[in-house]
Amino acid sequence: MTSVLDSSRVSVVEAMRGDRTKRPLIDIASAGGLRSLLEDGIYEILGATRLDAPLVVRAASLQQRFAITDLTMSSAGRIRGVLIGQLLRLLSVGMSIDHAFDDAVSAWRGDVGTNELIVCLDALDHDERARLATDVDAHYVTLTRALGDIPAHWLPRSCVRTTQRLAGGSVVLRDVIDLLIGTSTSEVASIALFDVTTSPLGEGAERSMRYHALMQTLRTSVMPLRTCTFSSATGEIWIRDVDYELLARSVEDVLANIRDQWSAT
Amino acid sequence: MTLLHRRLTKSDLLELITTAPTETVHLSDEHRVSLSTRFRAVSVPGHRRLDAWGVERAGRAGSTFRWSPASARRVLGNASLRRMTTRPVSVRDAVRDELGDQMLRATSGYSRSGSLSHWLASAPHPVIGLVTAEAVNWATQLQEIGQWLEVPWEVASSDAYYDVASARTTLRARRDLVVRAEETRTIVRVRSGSPGKSAGPGLRADLTIEALADHDGVAPVRYVGLWPDAGVCLAVDGTMSDLRSGARDLVRTAVAQRRSGVPLAA
Repeated sequence: MTSVLDSSRVSVVEAMRGDRTKRPLIDIASAGGLRSLLEDGIYEILGATRLDAPLVVRAASLQQRFAITDLTMSSAGRIRGVLIGQLLRLLSVGMSIDHAFDDAVSAWRGDVGTNELIVCLDALDHDERARLATDVDAHYVTLTRALGDIPAHWLPRSCVRTTQRLAGGSVVLRDVIDLLIGTSTSEVASIALFDVTTSPLGEGAERSMRYHALMQTLRTSVMPLRTCTFSSATGEIWIRDVDYELLARSVEDVLANIRDQWSAT
Repeated sequence: MTLLHRRLTKSDLLELITTAPTETVHLSDEHRVSLSTRFRAVSVPGHRRLDAWGVERAGRAGSTFRWSPASARRVLGNASLRRMTTRPVSVRDAVRDELGDQMLRATSGYSRSGSLSHWLASAPHPVIGLVTAEAVNWATQLQEIGQWLEVPWEVASSDAYYDVASARTTLRARRDLVVRAEETRTIVRVRSGSPGKSAGPGLRADLTIEALADHDGVAPVRYVGLWPDAGVCLAVDGTMSDLRSGARDLVRTAVAQRRSGVPLAA
């Protein structure tokens, strides 16, 4: 399902939750099978080799299979992505945001102290900083228009981290889900995953969506209901119902990435 | 040694809780005296604090502690969940109430410099938002774990602390949920990230400190460590051999700390 929410007033969160009467029963049986698929696939690639430095797979690794120039990976693009992520976190707990750029920077500094990207931000001259602030404001407006209020009883959690060690630690899968709503304790599937990107949606976004769903399934052993990705650049949103087929495709994506990394070593 | 490794699923966690041993082990005064003697032998000029994290890092110094949304989440998240067990309120509201109380403590002059209340009172509005988000994450996660248990549980009122007599040493064990059944108790401890190779010794150190902190020296029948980010749990039973191992690891950590010259607590 693809929706463009710039002109409509449909809430992303409402769209993610969908029709509550049509939710499937919770699936706690598939995680084991998916893990076996991954372990078997990795064994076919690595054999019995134990790596000193593990191969690491992230959602970003799956975005593009080939090295091409991507403006979103420039310092300014990365800073913009981080700041929009911080604003999403503040929105998820209903905080009022007066000045999107300043508030996001303040939250970011409070979170990480100092790092390479913050140094880059501080090094921007007045014009570059103003341009970035305007850019962040525009993305923020698109995000808030689409997202709407997130009720507390939907149990929103932001920046949810997942780590999975496979093949005895030779492969590490890492993921951060921008926003997760719903619970794994109900009898029907209710967990929806929301990912926000500041670049237009492409084939890589589809792989990321699947990867988030796979990682959430491996982490909790409970299959999520839906996974979605939202572009704050275009206001476009892709929403997919999660099923075994989607997760199995993500396993193939992950194995392809591991194969690429292994052949490059 | 009893170290159980399971996936963090409702059924596995519930099994770990319900199949915990029923017989408890006690630490006697002689055990306490013996531990004190060993720590005194590893003398230091100041006061030292040891915990499971120190054991897992083999006494190596970590980065200097500073308050941040991530370091504040557990204290605020646990306190918020404790509020939610006494009156029906959403996680978000419970966290806000807790934050409000913490800041009130600072403005009324009941907090000391360097405390969480003090830091929160001086933190800018967006940082408070991020602290709220982190605490909501923690409390929601812990609440879900509690709901999985299907047995009565309570949020631990604080971590377990034990001052080793005449050894200028304080031991601290992390604990988040306590499951009580008649005379026994099982402790659940939640950690971020994924368990390292020394997660088992760390868990045993917590088990030993928890037993020492009990005024009758009664050990919990099982100590369950959860790593929700990785979806795994480890558990160690409260047997005498595990308690002894935990104590040995703590003493070894003190020795390693002294050798590496780790800065001691103020």
